[in-house]
Formats: sequence, structure tokens, C-alpha cells
Amino acid sequence: MTFVVVESCIKCKHTDCVAVCPVDCFYEGENMLVIHPDECIDCGVCEPECPVDAIRADTEPGLEKWLELNAELAGVWPVITEQKDPPSDAHLWKDTENKFELLSRNPGDG
Amino acid sequence: MSVVEKSQPNFASDQEVRWCPGCGDFAILSQMKKIMPTLGVKPENVAFVSGIGCSSRFPYYLETYGMHGIHGRAPAIATGLKRMRPDLQVWVVTGDGDALSIGCTHLLHALRRNVDIKILLFNNRIYGLTKGQFSPTTPPGLVTSSTPGGTAHEPLHPLSIALASNATFVARSVDTNARHLGDVLRRAAAHRGAAFVEIYQNCHIFNDGAFDHAKDAAVREDHTVELVHGQPLVFGKERNKGIRLVGTDLEVVELDNGRSAGDLLVHDEASQTSAIAQMLAGMEHPRMPEVLGVLRDIDLPTHNDLMPDDTVSVAARADKINQLLETGETWTVGG
Repeated sequence: MTFVVVESCIKCKHTDCVAVCPVDCFYEGENMLVIHPDECIDCGVCEPECPVDAIRADTEPGLEKWLELNAELAGVWPVITEQKDPPSDAHLWKDTENKFELLSRNPGDG
Repeated sequence: MSVVEKSQPNFASDQEVRWCPGCGDFAILSQMKKIMPTLGVKPENVAFVSGIGCSSRFPYYLETYGMHGIHGRAPAIATGLKRMRPDLQVWVVTGDGDALSIGCTHLLHALRRNVDIKILLFNNRIYGLTKGQFSPTTPPGLVTSSTPGGTAHEPLHPLSIALASNATFVARSVDTNARHLGDVLRRAAAHRGAAFVEIYQNCHIFNDGAFDHAKDAAVREDHTVELVHGQPLVFGKERNKGIRLVGTDLEVVELDNGRSAGDLLVHDEASQTSAIAQMLAGMEHPRMPEVLGVLRDIDLPTHNDLMPDDTVSVAARADKINQLLETGETWTVGG
């Protein structure tokens, strides 16, 4: 099992999860974070920290696409180990659905 | 989906893992699930035995045989199991309270007998399951729910106790240092005889930060020395510090200050005497960097080697017990 970051993170990118992760398994893209599934220890501490409910256990049905995406992008994005401010317009995207097309595959600053 | 298969090896059980979110125990469990499929042993030939405490929930979460035993008694239970089923790979999972207070003598004797079991001591320096009382490894001065004025006494040092018990394999690692912990667990599994591994484990509810010096990526290289057999003890973010033996003590020296690696203590995990290993075990933060890795790995006959009567059938053994009871200094108490 692992936890995965899903669609609601896109363009919100709060990093409250990064502050609590004991194994630094979050990786940063330009407008989203992902979890490295082989580094995640399944401890669950990040799940309730996310203000936009973007972190889910992969045991939930229907997350296969997101699990693959987390694994793929964690392999190319830089690790992020310290919390930072979210994008200034994050609140505007909080309740937006169907954000997948807005996902940037560009790496973040890490 | 290859990703799912890789992150869910077949040693994972179907039980819901119940530790506090963020607990270091998750990291240790994660490494164990990763290394078990690489050891060449089938799940049905492995047994995990535990005592009482947060760490002792470990056997539930692996798809092997397991026993959640009584407080402190896991080494005794594991000794009996290995005695009767030498074909099993037997692990003990315990904590600082379970192993060093409630069951301390069981630990000592399992080690001195060199029972072929692998003992993992999750050291968080606190009683977590019972909500935060001081344990045998709590450092002096720590305010806990049972020491409101601060803990008064010096702690026990797990590695020193293992070495004093003549354990044939003694190592230390850190819960969240995945690479290092995986390597140490594999070494412990490969050892023939009693293997003792202390794992620094963060209890972020009742003793958060107890091992930050050894865990925090920004500082850990300056506060820990990774032991490598046959190599000098060099450490530091810049790899510019080392450990030197001076008389009967160890000291930290700066390598770019007239000292070279040739002046340093060279690690010998196969030394038959545990004297130097004891000195390494005594290195304690903040006075000294703390050692990680394998302090000692020597080959001595195991408990089963020394008492090789397991070929006797259970029935024959029962007869022998009866004969034993009925001979010699026995008597009947009259009415």
C-alpha cells in the first residue's frame, strides 16, 4: 500500500503534507506534488493535513491512474523536504473539478 | 500494474496497521516488507514473536507466522520455537521497555546462548503504548508523565548490554534511514546465531525528536559514524572528521588539522573481543557522534549446535523426562 496525491492538488499545492512526512517522500512539480510509492511508509500522517483532501490511500477504488502518475513523476521531479507557501491563487482552484488537463509535468524547485 | 506489486510485496498481511500516524514503526515495517522477499525464505518458514508494546503489534502486519506474546518474554518464546523448529527463521520484535525492563534477563540469556534468532529492539526511549512514562533508555532530565520533575537516572545502553551478553551480532540503525536499515536487517537475517539490532525509532507523540541528531538529513552526518568493516571511522558532512583511539579512550579529530585517515581507528566487526565494540557503543550524543551499522559479527556455535538432541523424537523425549523424574533425589511427602 501507499498513499497517492490526486487531482485536487493541481494548482493548489499546499505543502502541509511535506512538513509532517517522516521520510521525505514528496516530490514537487510546477503545480502539484506527488508521493513516491516505494518510499512512502504508509504511516498516514499526511492524509489529514491536506487542506484540499488530495491525499488518498491507494486501497481506495479507482486510483490506478493516479498511482501510476505518482510513481512516474516522483522519478523525475525533485524531492521537497520543507514546507513553503502555496501559490497565491491556490484558493481559487480549491473547489475546481476536472483539473487534470492543467497538470504541468515541469519539475518544481524542490 | 508493476508499481502495485513492487510496493505491496507478498509478506504484507491483510490487517489494518494501527500505530499513530507518522510513527517510526511504519518505516521499519515498510523496510521489513521490502527485504523479506529478497531473503530467499518462504513466508510459511518465518515467525515473528513479540512481547507487549507498540512495536509488538508487528507480527500482525506480516503474512508469516507470528505470536504476540507476554510482556518481555518474546526471547524465551522464540528460544523454544527455534529449539523445536530449527528450520524456521525466527525474529523477535521488542521495545526499550519490553526488552530492557520487563524482560531484560530473557534478552541477556537468549543472547549469551547464541540462539539463532534475530532480535529487533525499537528504541524510542519512552513507554508509548501506556502514554508516555519514562523507560530504561529515557535520558536524564526528560519530563514524562511519570517523572514530572525530570528523569533522574542514567539510561541503559542497549548495544552495551548486548555486547556484555556476548551477542555474536550487534548493530544499530535508524527507522527512517531506509537504505541503511534495509542493509542492517539483511545482515541480521544472514547471521547464524543471535542477532541484536537496536533501531532508533521516533515516537512523535510522547518523545518526539529523541533522535533528531541521527535522523535529520541536515545534521545527521555530523552526529553519526557509519561503521564499515575494515575502514577507518570517518564522518561528517565534509568527511573531514574521524575517531581516534587514544590510550583507553576515543576522541574526535579533525582530518584537515594535521591528522590523516591513517591515524584513525579501523573498524573490525570480527574482533573476538568486544572491548573496542563496547567503546563504540559508549559513544553518545552530544559528547560524541553515535555509531550506526554493524558493531560486531562473529561466528560461534549456536544454542542448537551446543544442544543437538533435536533428532530425538518427541515421544522418546517424553520417556526420558519420566525416567529423569523418577530417579535420583526424589521423595514423596507423607501425609
